[in-house]
Amino acid sequence: MPSRPPVQQPPDVRVRTTEVRVQSQAPRRRSPYRGYVYVLPAFAVYFCFAVLPALHTAYLSLFEWDGVTLGDWVGLGNYQEIFQDSILRRSVLNALVLVVFFSFIPIVVGLAMTGLLARFRRPGMGAYRFLFMLPQVVPLVAVGVTWRWLYGDDGLVNQTFRAVGLDGVTRAWLGDFGAALIAVGLVGTWVLSGLCMMLFLSGVQKVDPSLYEAARLDGAGPVREFVSVTLPHLRGEIAVAMTVTTVAALASFDIVYVTTNGGPGEQTTVPGLLVYRLAFSEGKVGLAAALAVVLGCLILGIVYLINRLSRSES
Amino acid sequence: MERTHRVRRRVAATVCAAALVLPLTACDALTPGSAAAVPGPRSVPSSTAVPDGDITLRLQFADAPLMVDALIAAFEKGHPNISVEPQYKTFSDYVQNLKLTMTSDTAPDIAQYAVGMTDLAADGHILDLAPYREAYGWDKAIPPVSLDQLTAGQTSEATGGRALFGVPAGLSMTGIYYNKELAKKAGIDGPPKTVAEFEDQLAAAKKADLTPLGVGALDSGGLHLWAALLNQLMPTDDYWDWVNGTKGATIETPAAVTASKLVIDWGRKGYYNDSANGTAQVDSTAQFAKGDSVFLINGNWAAGQLATVMGDNVGFFPMPGEQASAPTVASGFSVSYAVASRTEHPEAAGAFLDFLTTPEAGQIISDNGFMPPNPDAVKKPEGVLADIAEGHRRAVADDGITTFPDFAAPAMLDRLRSGVQKLIANRIDPSDYLDSLQDEWEEHHAE
Repeated sequence: MPSRPPVQQPPDVRVRTTEVRVQSQAPRRRSPYRGYVYVLPAFAVYFCFAVLPALHTAYLSLFEWDGVTLGDWVGLGNYQEIFQDSILRRSVLNALVLVVFFSFIPIVVGLAMTGLLARFRRPGMGAYRFLFMLPQVVPLVAVGVTWRWLYGDDGLVNQTFRAVGLDGVTRAWLGDFGAALIAVGLVGTWVLSGLCMMLFLSGVQKVDPSLYEAARLDGAGPVREFVSVTLPHLRGEIAVAMTVTTVAALASFDIVYVTTNGGPGEQTTVPGLLVYRLAFSEGKVGLAAALAVVLGCLILGIVYLINRLSRSES
Repeated sequence: MERTHRVRRRVAATVCAAALVLPLTACDALTPGSAAAVPGPRSVPSSTAVPDGDITLRLQFADAPLMVDALIAAFEKGHPNISVEPQYKTFSDYVQNLKLTMTSDTAPDIAQYAVGMTDLAADGHILDLAPYREAYGWDKAIPPVSLDQLTAGQTSEATGGRALFGVPAGLSMTGIYYNKELAKKAGIDGPPKTVAEFEDQLAAAKKADLTPLGVGALDSGGLHLWAALLNQLMPTDDYWDWVNGTKGATIETPAAVTASKLVIDWGRKGYYNDSANGTAQVDSTAQFAKGDSVFLINGNWAAGQLATVMGDNVGFFPMPGEQASAPTVASGFSVSYAVASRTEHPEAAGAFLDFLTTPEAGQIISDNGFMPPNPDAVKKPEGVLADIAEGHRRAVADDGITTFPDFAAPAMLDRLRSGVQKLIANRIDPSDYLDSLQDEWEEHHAE
């Protein structure tokens, strides 16, 4: 229990102070509960709309249920089915590949852009930030539709390649067995790079400008300055960016659904897409719930790992 | 302090555990779903007489809102005491919520027939219309083959004959469109009479440096091509058994292997548009309209658009058979309507469905680009629409309208789509592809 700072009291009011202390001690003993009361509204909302649905999903995953008629209790049978399904294993692998495009590359790009933009404060910075943030503002479904056009036969991507004489490279990117997953991944890179940059830029603004000044006085070039000053101060932001983008990759659904719907073959099938299909078009709600639980645990595990690593380093 | 903390934590943990375990022990009450029997009868009454008094029917649907509005207006004119309230939903919304909608207390009176209806019919959530089939004489007004697609594989308890769970408004059929100008350029002088002749024409187009066949395999264009070939090679009855889930049916037949091999071969020979797997059906249609390919696989739903853009330059033929004398077989379905078991006005709903079979409704359907169930009752179409009507007439006469293969199981659409994409890219063995379909089929029909 935290002790109060000792207060020097004049001797003549001693008696009164003891009285006050007796009175003030009663509410102080209740203080741990009072804290809970303050949290209660937020907790109630969180519990009703996040925890309960999650528990309900976990509960549903123990049934074979078509969504309408009475479900059958199957215990862990759905989980067994999940781990035997080859399409499912494939989809998890695809999601892990997407992590590279949704998380790794955007963070590198974000850092590079931060390095370029943060060194000097130039006029018009706000415009840059707005431009790079734009992909975050557009709904992902609209992003998907736009990129489907860009990647199309006569889309801008192919037009660009043709314009520079690379006719041999052109293809329907989203329908190509080799290129589809990369093409979808690059859409994620486009969306999330701006977010990472925004995070890092706001992190850089907290850095004391005198540090940069000192580094420059010591003769540090832009690279040295970035590595020695900027990067160490961004560790927290990088951890946040990594968490957010990795979750976006593993739980990706909208972009894939709109651009390729998992095709060609199973090249871009991701777990989120399968959850949706199982629950809504195949009438296997229990199996979908089980898959969602597994996916959720996987994401929680990876996020825990990221947080753990970033903390132990600092 | 430390101890009370630990105690408190232990209490919290116990409460959490109890909260988790309690539902498990109280399993029966909390089992999801309901086994409650469907209220009311399972088939329409034998009387077709619509009771007096004002009646409002709610109609939920996902296709052709303009056509539905026109049909409703015409129907209400003839039945002043019945008003129909249309409730339009986008197709994916409609299909996803179909089961919940139709089993809820607020189910619409009439609903468009879609893939999930077979299960709803089995559980009694939509009415068997077989008594009306006889009472209204629908067999005479509509080709029986169109009604037989709507039996949900069941026998009618009321009549003992085939059950009926919907009445078609517009009919659909898949086939091949061709660009007359480009065909002439490649030395092709008309629709082929056999699959082999069609292959020669594809080869001729390729030789003329044109893209022979446009396929929109990103969504369902690929499976239409595969099904069109399968229709020619596999006995129609076997195909129906498979789609209907008849016990012991299988898709792993030599005919299906041959059809799948053809899809691979044509891909290897470069007969498809390069980007078939990345092209949606609408996009492949737009490309064909622009003159990007000589042929296009699609359904009659694209005809209106193609006729507008290409005029007399476009023609249509159903996929030809192995021999010139073979019956015309093509996949198709219908925009049909079912009646919910929860409706309070089955007679009024029956009157609306019967109106769909009248010449007046047929003309509305035809004007909206669909094929009316009774083609004789409407004005003769022109151009590519006439080709389609003629193809459909031949297929109906040969009893050769089969349903789409994805009706075999709810998950079949995804298996077919991704499977045919692999065939087109020559990335899967036909037998492995068919095996994946049969696995899905067996899983669904195991119950």
